[in-house]
Amino acid sequence: MASISARRLAKELREIEGEGCPVGINLIKADDFATWWFTIEVMGDSLYQGEVHTLQFRFDPQYPISSPAVQFLVTDGRTAPVHPHVYSNGHICASILGNEWSPVLSVVAVCVTLQSMLASCKKKERPVDNDRYVRNAPDNPKKVCRFSDY
Amino acid sequence: MQKTLRVPVRPLIDDLAPMSSLRVEYENGSPAFLKQIDWLNAHGFTYIRRTRGDGDCFYRSFGFTYVERLLQSPDRELAVSRSLKSLQSTNQKLESAGIQALVFEDFLDVFTSLIEGIVKPGNEGGTLNAEGLLKAFQSDEGRLISNATVMYLRLLTSAQILLDRDFFQSFVVHPDTKEPMDVDSFCANFVQALGKEADNVEMNALCSALELNLDVAYLNGGRTGVVDFIEFRSDANPEADPLMLLYRPGHYDILVRAS
Repeated sequence: MASISARRLAKELREIEGEGCPVGINLIKADDFATWWFTIEVMGDSLYQGEVHTLQFRFDPQYPISSPAVQFLVTDGRTAPVHPHVYSNGHICASILGNEWSPVLSVVAVCVTLQSMLASCKKKERPVDNDRYVRNAPDNPKKVCRFSDY
Repeated sequence: MQKTLRVPVRPLIDDLAPMSSLRVEYENGSPAFLKQIDWLNAHGFTYIRRTRGDGDCFYRSFGFTYVERLLQSPDRELAVSRSLKSLQSTNQKLESAGIQALVFEDFLDVFTSLIEGIVKPGNEGGTLNAEGLLKAFQSDEGRLISNATVMYLRLLTSAQILLDRDFFQSFVVHPDTKEPMDVDSFCANFVQALGKEADNVEMNALCSALELNLDVAYLNGGRTGVVDFIEFRSDANPEADPLMLLYRPGHYDILVRAS
């Protein structure tokens, strides 16, 4: 029996391939059930017009019981969007990626939530503790933040 | 010098232990609890199976004792086939509550395969016995079975609350503030999410969804020394043997009556 994470991700992948991603979100890499990449851009009027960012999902064998590790990629010329909940190393402070994760959410649902987090942003700025956080940041972005509106 | 203190971690579901082992923990504490533990002992509730206090203890205890009850049934074939039928029929309930098949079917599969194993020999030849069940809920590999069971029961509980929202709305409160809250955010934040403790609303909903009876003994330091049982009756037969749990403030374990 394939692991639950592989079964679930295979189904999510089939759904993405069958129905496509929501506007502004594109799957660019899903060669295995460990790491997926998406590009994400905010459509319409927003502070992020014209910006395309890359989101990385990493899954452990306990997915979807445990949340995926999600961050913006900041390698090879990619950058993290400037946002009060996004650190310059790509880590994201969003409660749905931490203590409010639920297996009812899916990879696409996370993308959509992060897209709307950007869309509703009023002022482009880094989190106040950006420098301190980035200096000591753990490898696992899941440990970032437990309380935010997203 | 700094010493690392190693606190032993309780297994997700522990071995059966005599009630006296729980009593020891209260001997230097509340006399009211001691009196209630003695009351349980005197009324035939002589064993307890403890569970890890990780916020999932109600669902995990419930899932374990549900399967254990099937194992102990005099006619296992019948009990298992009834259970599978009832579990398969929850498919529809979950979908009509708006929970995608993609989300629940793997968890349901894991739980029904565990139960099927009671009558159908697995890859290694044998059928599921009490030892195997405990292993399934304790081992690292079992963590998946255990957590998938918890997740399935959580989703089913939320489906029942969502479908019966008119009834449940008046009872749903935020677990910390005790302020009334809407059924949808209650289900999303406190029922469907792992690690969030259950209360009467969830117990009621889960018993309704599976049409079974449940007794929860309240070990809460009440002054009379008597233990009150909260009874949930959703089996078509109100006399059908209830599943039994023991509640202490903030935690659920499995309560076992001497046979």
